[in-house]
Amino acid sequence: MANYHPNNELLMSFAAGQLPNSLGIMVACHLEQCHSCRQQTHLYEQLGGELLGDLPEETVGTNVLSRILDRIDEPVSAPSLATLNQGDLAIPRPLRRFIPGSLDTLEWSGMTKSIREFDIEIEDPQFKAKLYKIGAGKELPEHTHEGNEFTYVIDGSFADKTCQYHEGDFILADTQTIHQPRATMDKDCICFAVMDAPLKMTGIFGRMLNPFMR
Amino acid sequence: MSNATPKILENLLLAIAQKQDREAFVKLFEATSSRLKAFAMQCGATSNDAEELLQECMLTVWRKAHTFNPKTGTAITWLYTIIRNKRIDFARKGRYDTVLSDDLWNDEGGTELENDVSSDLDAKVARTLLESLPDEQRQVVYKVYFEGKSHSEIAADLDLPLGTIKSRLRLAMKKLDTLAKEQMTWLIIILTMNF
Ligand SMILES: [Zn+2]
Repeated sequence: MANYHPNNELLMSFAAGQLPNSLGIMVACHLEQCHSCRQQTHLYEQLGGELLGDLPEETVGTNVLSRILDRIDEPVSAPSLATLNQGDLAIPRPLRRFIPGSLDTLEWSGMTKSIREFDIEIEDPQFKAKLYKIGAGKELPEHTHEGNEFTYVIDGSFADKTCQYHEGDFILADTQTIHQPRATMDKDCICFAVMDAPLKMTGIFGRMLNPFMR
Repeated sequence: MSNATPKILENLLLAIAQKQDREAFVKLFEATSSRLKAFAMQCGATSNDAEELLQECMLTVWRKAHTFNPKTGTAITWLYTIIRNKRIDFARKGRYDTVLSDDLWNDEGGTELENDVSSDLDAKVARTLLESLPDEQRQVVYKVYFEGKSHSEIAADLDLPLGTIKSRLRLAMKKLDTLAKEQMTWLIIILTMNF
């Protein structure tokens, strides 16, 4: 069971369907493991339902209903990419289709021998996503973060000065955090990390997250 | 929705799920479409896009009505999740590397959130969530849900310090948690009285 959780602000934005892509995937990974966060998210969905019920009504065109009824017997279109579910079962379901092949055969690229990384292709103007593999018992040099970094433990465990993190844990590090993670001795630790993209763009670029601003 | 009670909406959805009842579907459309469209427009859609989204949403309601489980939540909450997901998927079709609502939520599961109290009663207790928030907190919550803005963008919008926004949101969340706990207590009391 996870000991470190996304904060309520993140869960509310997730329930609102408003998290940036990579971060949304990461929260979804945690939710698959965490009953209490699922419950909390459900509470925020209820609030979403109330917000919906409370909106001032918009007039709907008179032909909309008939257009819907015309299409109601159409066969269901091809299953969504997301439900095809190919890939390595060791990878959490929400992330799986974004990782080609299995964790064992991934083409990791090295920063050093003790830490390997893999860039994950998720369309996201705000964050970049990576997998990290920290070798068993290996320690990273002490570092701070230039922006926010979110980490989700997929397999194994690691510790820093104060805490130990296990499978399912969701960790938020900001610029204040000094990090010196060390994987535990018994096995490699594999993490999913999402960090502010180096070119930090808000404003117009950030707005592109909104699918209506085309 | 203005006059359709939670129980009416629930029965319409169940009729669609169990009997593919088209009459119920039309009634559900009439009761909810103006607000589903309003949802899309609050999120930034034009009237045309909002109606396109409304169509997609109602077709999904027809096809997925069987996934509605009145024991886990009210009909309006279920409808909310459908329109929310449609908004995410809108205009993203055909891109492999983008995130779809099915990546974030799967249809299975959810039974663990079941409770045995009639959802009508449940809805009555839940109905207080939004009503309990003072206007200034409601406004921030609203922006989080519909505009997807970061706290600093909301602060700029409202011309208020970032700290004020953060504390309003935090107060709103605290209130919701308290209410949810009270709700739980009530549900437990009701359950014990029933058995
Ligand atoms: Zn959690």
